Amino acid sequence: MGITRRIFLRNGVLAVVGTAAVPSFLTRAALGAGGSNTHNKRLVVIFQRGAADGLNIVVPHGEQQYYAMRPNINIPHKAVLDLDGFFGLHPSLGPFHPLWRQGHLAIVHAAGSPDTTRSHFDAQDYMESGTPGVKATEDGWLNRCLQALPRPSKKSAFRAIALGPSLPRILSGAEPAVALNSIEDFTIGGRSQKASSLANTFEAMYDHSLDAMLHGSGEQTFDAMKMLKSADPAKYKPAPGADYPRGRFGDSLRQLAQLIKANLGVQVAFADIGGWDHHVNEGSTEGQIANVLREFSESLAAFWTDLGDLGEDTVIVTMSEFGRTARENGNRGTDHGHANVMFVLGGPVKGGKVYGRWPGLDQSQLYEGRDLALTTDFRQVLGEAVARHMENKNLNEVFPRHENQSSKFLKLLG
Amino acid sequence: MRLRRTQLVVSVLCLILAYAAPQLLAGKKDKPPEATQNERKRALHALNRLTFGPRPGDVPAVLNMGVDKWIDRQLHPDKINDKALETRLAPFRTLRMDVHEILENFPDQRRAREVMEGKRSMPSDPAQRAVYQVLIARLEEKQERRADGGGTGAASDGHGAHADNRGFSSPAAAGEHTDPPTDTNPSADKTGETRGRADSSGSAAMAEGNANTANANNTDNSNAVAAPEANHAAGVFAEMKPTPGQDAKARNREDRLYADLKVRQLIDLPPNQRFKQVLEMSQQEQRALADSLRGGKGQEFLEGMDAKQKETLLAMSAPLLIVGEELAEAKLMRAIYSDRQLEEVMTDFWFNHFNVFIGKGADRFLVTVYERDVIRPHVLGNFEDLLVATAKSPAMLFYLDNWMSVGPNSLVASGVPSRPMRPNGPYRRRYPGRFPPPGRNPNARGKRNSGLNENYGRELMELHTLSVNGGYSQRDVTEVAKVFTGWTIDKPEEGGGFRFDPRMHEPGSKFVLGHKIKDKGEGEGRDVLHLLATRPQTAHFISLQLAQRFVADDPPDALVDRMAKTFLKKKGDIREVLSTLFYSPEFWAEGAYRAKVKTPLEFVASAVRATGVDVTDAMQLTRQLNNMGMALYGMQPPTGYSMKAETWVNSSALLGRMNFAVALTSSKVRGAKLDSTQLMRNGPPPTDATQALAALENALLAGDVSKQTHDSVAARLKDPKISQRKVDDPMRPADISTIAGLLLGSPEFQRR
Repeated sequence: MGITRRIFLRNGVLAVVGTAAVPSFLTRAALGAGGSNTHNKRLVVIFQRGAADGLNIVVPHGEQQYYAMRPNINIPHKAVLDLDGFFGLHPSLGPFHPLWRQGHLAIVHAAGSPDTTRSHFDAQDYMESGTPGVKATEDGWLNRCLQALPRPSKKSAFRAIALGPSLPRILSGAEPAVALNSIEDFTIGGRSQKASSLANTFEAMYDHSLDAMLHGSGEQTFDAMKMLKSADPAKYKPAPGADYPRGRFGDSLRQLAQLIKANLGVQVAFADIGGWDHHVNEGSTEGQIANVLREFSESLAAFWTDLGDLGEDTVIVTMSEFGRTARENGNRGTDHGHANVMFVLGGPVKGGKVYGRWPGLDQSQLYEGRDLALTTDFRQVLGEAVARHMENKNLNEVFPRHENQSSKFLKLLG
Repeated sequence: MRLRRTQLVVSVLCLILAYAAPQLLAGKKDKPPEATQNERKRALHALNRLTFGPRPGDVPAVLNMGVDKWIDRQLHPDKINDKALETRLAPFRTLRMDVHEILENFPDQRRAREVMEGKRSMPSDPAQRAVYQVLIARLEEKQERRADGGGTGAASDGHGAHADNRGFSSPAAAGEHTDPPTDTNPSADKTGETRGRADSSGSAAMAEGNANTANANNTDNSNAVAAPEANHAAGVFAEMKPTPGQDAKARNREDRLYADLKVRQLIDLPPNQRFKQVLEMSQQEQRALADSLRGGKGQEFLEGMDAKQKETLLAMSAPLLIVGEELAEAKLMRAIYSDRQLEEVMTDFWFNHFNVFIGKGADRFLVTVYERDVIRPHVLGNFEDLLVATAKSPAMLFYLDNWMSVGPNSLVASGVPSRPMRPNGPYRRRYPGRFPPPGRNPNARGKRNSGLNENYGRELMELHTLSVNGGYSQRDVTEVAKVFTGWTIDKPEEGGGFRFDPRMHEPGSKFVLGHKIKDKGEGEGRDVLHLLATRPQTAHFISLQLAQRFVADDPPDALVDRMAKTFLKKKGDIREVLSTLFYSPEFWAEGAYRAKVKTPLEFVASAVRATGVDVTDAMQLTRQLNNMGMALYGMQPPTGYSMKAETWVNSSALLGRMNFAVALTSSKVRGAKLDSTQLMRNGPPPTDATQALAALENALLAGDVSKQTHDSVAARLKDPKISQRKVDDPMRPADISTIAGLLLGSPEFQRR
């Protein structure tokens, strides 16, 4: 019975992919047949590159110290979107507020990588490899996360996808992963008649090639192209109310939603947003940080709206390589710090709560006397998503050299 | 010598046997004599491994000389005349400059600020002056804006955000951004420097993780082969979102519009006058023009100017970027046109082995010299010499942070000031890329506990010598780090050289790998380098890496062992190790033939070489490499690029290659023009498509093409739509460029 169901599911999903005009309830039915099938579960990782200022993002407005240390760039009490009387959202995170109230959005504060480096590239590298302090790791944890998962019978070319021109560290590794800059351009030679005949010839070459490696990769490439063509993700217009802001991040998430909605078998996905390195004139309720936060929250909220029911099987986690100094600097900015804030959004998320132990901002409580101390290792958060949501219990493979006890999970997934 | 010859005979016999056996079994066919066929294959194999791919005519030339003699010649590059290459490299002035000249001609913001503040005089050469003027104009604008921003307390100006967005786009930013709060405006430092970084080394930016606005709008990808600048231009202008009421921004915008007009006016003038006019512009005009030149009209505007003029105008926008661009373009030119191919392959190998990242702080102006004077002279020389040269090079000292590593019990750590200033106070820790702020008292914040930086010590053993499994412990890492304390750079921001600073050096004996290293200052480092260079683990690791590069991703153990033996016996003589490799049966084994998947660099260079495309401007080719994930000098982690197939075979990479193949052969890559008559060996293109296919298979794949590839292309030529054209016009030449593009995108061309 199980087998029959699975075959039905497989063929069903493929059939849906193959036909453009299938009503959406059928799509949902095909997916629904999977039930708790992990194939339909998705983990989306967002990287805020450049070290976001967590203290001005989820503001500890109950801390007097916070205001004392940031005379010019604090977020005033009045402006904060209060969460629980102690923490509040930056006013540019307005689109997050309803998600929080509906219980879809959880926050982990004072989280991040335990490595003490304050180098952007080392710290990003560590968070992508999932092995802080170890540079020799060749692959990324999001790729390793897939390695132990059961493969879909027909391997989807879009199982692992990064929005961007090349494959980021986090997705590199043994599992095939696709870097896609734009759906439109994932083709050979453009869209002309000639281009499509070129693509056919290339496909024939690779299809028949006895070169196992290139044959495999070629097959995957042309599968992906064909899947894209027949699923025509471009026809999945954003759902009503999903208003993506202009800019690369919004574009990335809009296209990611298209791929997910087109049923291309996306299991893990990655997108990033830069512009967080505010050493100078960071701003407070307005200014640089306000602008980038607006783009960040509007894009993610639109993505969430756009996913609709598919959001039930989706967990979105955000991270940044490290936080910023608790005190503002002489240029009304902040310098490289330590712990930061992470957002976790999704169907299975027990939201509406700030997780993690708050270490405090008194001088003695600061890390090295200057930064928010770290109380949650980012791998505790990611590990929970990998183990409980993606159902990959093999955490020691995903996060080697880390104590991966489930007792350390924050239990933010239901 | 005798041994070598015996090996040769054995290997030839192996090949003949491997090749002949199936033929015999399959029954005799009408073929040229086996030996000739084998010799051809040998020549092709040697060319595939010792060069960046065979050019038309290379196989016969090697056969003519004799494969072994040719290999020997490649092992002695000084015997090979490379004059033609020199002409190709002539336009890249930075290749011949020392660090000081580079900084003088292509100043960073720091230097420009010194000129602005009168601490350094403005150069008298009008071209150089223009470069400084633009930087200064930006600095002044920045200051003005900061003054404004200070008043309102909330700087919401778009340019500020934009500066920040791209701030991190520069790898340099990662370093310079770490300035402590007391330092002067750090992010202003990079505004100019990082412009265009996103598209000039896209994947570097990617690796190091930034999504800046310019990048965001730059939908540069492998399909947009011919026009990424246009996209970039769109990005540049899209960034300009003025908020009403902000004077500076409005003015900025006006300047740009004006500059845009000016560009259009000047574009019709002869190149020399155009250039002269630019030099006569006001500082503000120059700044605005510089910004717009990195955009779409840039290329048109530069058309017809000489190398120095072009360089100057591009430098006005982002001086230090020029250095990396010239380096990357020159590297491609060398890979494509040098006749000392093995030397180029080995330079690439060793640079990658001792990787430094051009995006990190001072390495922006140190890498040119690093490759030229540190790596290149030793690529076929002695390993220990090479190791020592890298250890002492400012580029490596900076890249792996050793220049700022301070012994916990050193004089500096206990409060005696050092020169130059050491990182300091609570901000001292691991600030790669940071220049010490001038004039600060290192004692102001009291005694530091430890400034030991283990970065170099670790990578020295893990990546440069012993390998990760080379049997060292964390304790060894710390001890080696102590040994190298004091190995620093004399004024890194000024482009100074190596200096040993005894005040930073950790006193006392150290223990490394069970050996006592006696307390003797700078000499300790030499002792450790000697120890490491002569370890069997190092011999094995270097041999393994060479075998991976030249033979297979997983080379036979026996081969690696033999190479390691040579390494130890010949005291790290690289040429000898390569001889062992090239004259080994494993190198010539049937299984090694086309066993390696080309890296993007190898793919692009070999495609250009095979087609005989004439490259007049390599910039577009370097951008193609960025798109394929192999930005030259843009590998941020110290591991260097992987030479293994799995890294380079994936969907996006394959699409990138097929698109590049098609773009190159249809001359859609700017600066690289295909001459199809040249490609067809000077004959007129055959009107018969099948003949054309056969000729191209010979030219591009040395005739060794799989049946599958051949049939796929042949089937396409028989397609009714295509054959109809032939019926309509029997004299119509075959579509050479399409056939060539298909062959370059074929599975077999992805291998070497």
